[in-house]
Amino acid sequence: MKLHEHLPAFLVMVPLLGAFLTPLVASFGRVVRNVFFVFFSLLTLVIAVSIGMSVFGGQILVYVMGGENFALTLPSGMTYPVRILFEIDAFGALLILCIALAAFAGSVFSINYMDRFSGWKRFLSLYFLMTAGALGMCATGDLFNFFVFVEVSSIASFGLIAFWRDKPETIEASYKYMLVSQVAALLLLIAIGTLYGRYNALNMSALAAMARTGTLDRVVLALIISILAFKCGAFPMHAWMPDAYAETPSGVTCLLVTVSQASFYGLIRVCYSIFPGVAREGTVGWILIVLGCMSMFFGVMMAVVQHEIKRLMGYHSISQVGYMLLAMGVGLLALDGRGNAAAYGLTAMKGGLFHVMNYSIYKALLFLCAGSLYYATGTRDLDKMGGLARNMPWTTGMFVVAAAAISGLPPFNGFVSKLLIYESSFVVHPLLPAIAMITSVLTLASFVKVFQSAFLGPAKTKFIAVREVPAGMLTGMMVLTVVTLLLSLFPGWFMNNVFTKAAEALVDHEGYIRAVMGGGM
Amino acid sequence: MWGQVTSGFGYWDVFTWFFFFALISFFVLWVRSLGRMDYKRNSDQDEIYWSGNEVPEDGAQISVPASSSYWGFRVAMEPLYRILLAFHSGNASDYAGYFVVTAALVGLLILL
Amino acid sequence: MTDSIVKTLDSVGNAPYFVVALLVLMALTAILTQKNLIKICIAVAILGSSVNLFLVLLGYRDGGSIPIYYLKGAEKGMVLPTPQCLTLTAIVIALATTALMLSLIILIHKHYGTLNIDEIRRLRG
Repeated sequence: MKLHEHLPAFLVMVPLLGAFLTPLVASFGRVVRNVFFVFFSLLTLVIAVSIGMSVFGGQILVYVMGGENFALTLPSGMTYPVRILFEIDAFGALLILCIALAAFAGSVFSINYMDRFSGWKRFLSLYFLMTAGALGMCATGDLFNFFVFVEVSSIASFGLIAFWRDKPETIEASYKYMLVSQVAALLLLIAIGTLYGRYNALNMSALAAMARTGTLDRVVLALIISILAFKCGAFPMHAWMPDAYAETPSGVTCLLVTVSQASFYGLIRVCYSIFPGVAREGTVGWILIVLGCMSMFFGVMMAVVQHEIKRLMGYHSISQVGYMLLAMGVGLLALDGRGNAAAYGLTAMKGGLFHVMNYSIYKALLFLCAGSLYYATGTRDLDKMGGLARNMPWTTGMFVVAAAAISGLPPFNGFVSKLLIYESSFVVHPLLPAIAMITSVLTLASFVKVFQSAFLGPAKTKFIAVREVPAGMLTGMMVLTVVTLLLSLFPGWFMNNVFTKAAEALVDHEGYIRAVMGGGM
Repeated sequence: MWGQVTSGFGYWDVFTWFFFFALISFFVLWVRSLGRMDYKRNSDQDEIYWSGNEVPEDGAQISVPASSSYWGFRVAMEPLYRILLAFHSGNASDYAGYFVVTAALVGLLILL
Repeated sequence: MTDSIVKTLDSVGNAPYFVVALLVLMALTAILTQKNLIKICIAVAILGSSVNLFLVLLGYRDGGSIPIYYLKGAEKGMVLPTPQCLTLTAIVIALATTALMLSLIILIHKHYGTLNIDEIRRLRG
């Protein structure tokens, strides 16, 4: 048996195994539990990286569950695939890499961060389940399976948001997210069922090969777009996001960010790969652009006036998601345009995908920094903090890197991806880069405020005894800082070897179908 | 080139940026070194000046809280913020309503 | 026995789909208008049931038989078992979410002392 051929299965299997082994392992004491936690997250990261290495080479990984042969996508005598299968192309591998990185950093961080609290068995199980759900969403090639993974990650995240259940706010945040999320998930199931009723297939590639542009397809596409836009926090449906991000333990928040990125993956996959016929007509592109611009602007406007650090960052998440929606919408609109428009469309997509990775990494880092501040000072209120740079030099340094990256200051990676988005979105309308730049300025303004009120200023007497956070938390943050710096220093390498591949894989509708259907249909 | 990314108009190169950053820092530091040299350490020049009053021991009494930053911006944008704050009402059925309405709007737009 | 069921199903035509649509609309209206958390939870459960009904309906094909080899009888064609699997999975997921939602409601009642959704608004702005 060649092990590397089974990597897509291991990708979901390892965190799932971790989730169900936890109750057993956690009773062997603290050290065993911590080693187990970090080891399984690291193993997931290693699997993700090796999947990335083979996929960015130009290959699409397909893995069939329960077949006579894991490469046999079409069972004998059938013209379309009926089994559950995983299909990972460069775009999926990019998201998988982000999720695995955030999960690893969050696990290392949580070892010290959660040490003061009980309920470790539940925490670990839910953490692994959420990782498995998010990874599965990006790996699966089957729409119903996608729904199942959405639910796995959502239910785990409801549990984790309400993890500190002695605080009323956590329960409230969890309930609000859960209510809307459940409505959305059940409507998603209706949409998927409708597709099954129309095409007798649930496989994404088979659907992509058969999809037409009728009324029913449009209704389904509209439902899926609004549901997944809700899940990734687009403007009119974003209200759960700051609540949930603020109340979750920080090690989990950094994973929640990437879970919402997995929903973004689903949204883009459906638009680009399954319904390109409808999506490239123009309306869908404009819908994504309008959602993106509203999220960018209103998200950052709300962030400027917040004074609770994690809530502020939660509102920033909304505005960052807006950049990606904008870039992908521009891609949809410009790809079929005349002249240079197609090239600009591809640039916008590259910028958007670069931003996906940047956002997952620096946003996770920012949430971990906020968690460190909470750990050290016991408050999340910026009004009460101040002068902490003297006590926590490492946290300060890493916060500065992340804040500069998210505000798009050169030479950090956020600048590069934003530059690509600015310089390509004007093809559609010159107002779009203007809104994006205003958003960027306001982002910088609010992070200057966080930096000023938390780290600078005179030392406060009640924080004299504050010390730098423990090594585990610093290590978790350091992992993400190093990745941010790598992305900043070698953007060209990542662009050529990762983001361009991902953008091309996304545009290559035929290739996505061919990987599963072969010559059939 | 590992540090270079081309967009439609030109390119971004990290190492070029570092080169110019070093160049400009050199000139800035050079100009700075031409400035006045009469600052004395550990003299009265080191003291904090707080409107002529005695500086309080606890920094909490002289720091500006985060809620007060960008006060002018918030006041200028008051009408917008009134709408935005009313929008984030905290009521879960409102949030469900926003979702349903958005889904309906998106559906309508795509169908037309 | 089986024949009579088939006949009944043939005669109702698209009516089950209208029932599904009606249930979905009822559930959505209740979620948007009800103030009591328990009632909202019931509405979510109704939404889940209507989705399950929809999936079961999709599995019905004219002249198809149950997809179990030794029970299918004289019929030649078996229906694809996918919708049945979907329904089973969806039922399990709905069970988990309903249980979780109810437990959250218990905790909310403990902390806030109320089940009125208008009064559970500490997180806003």
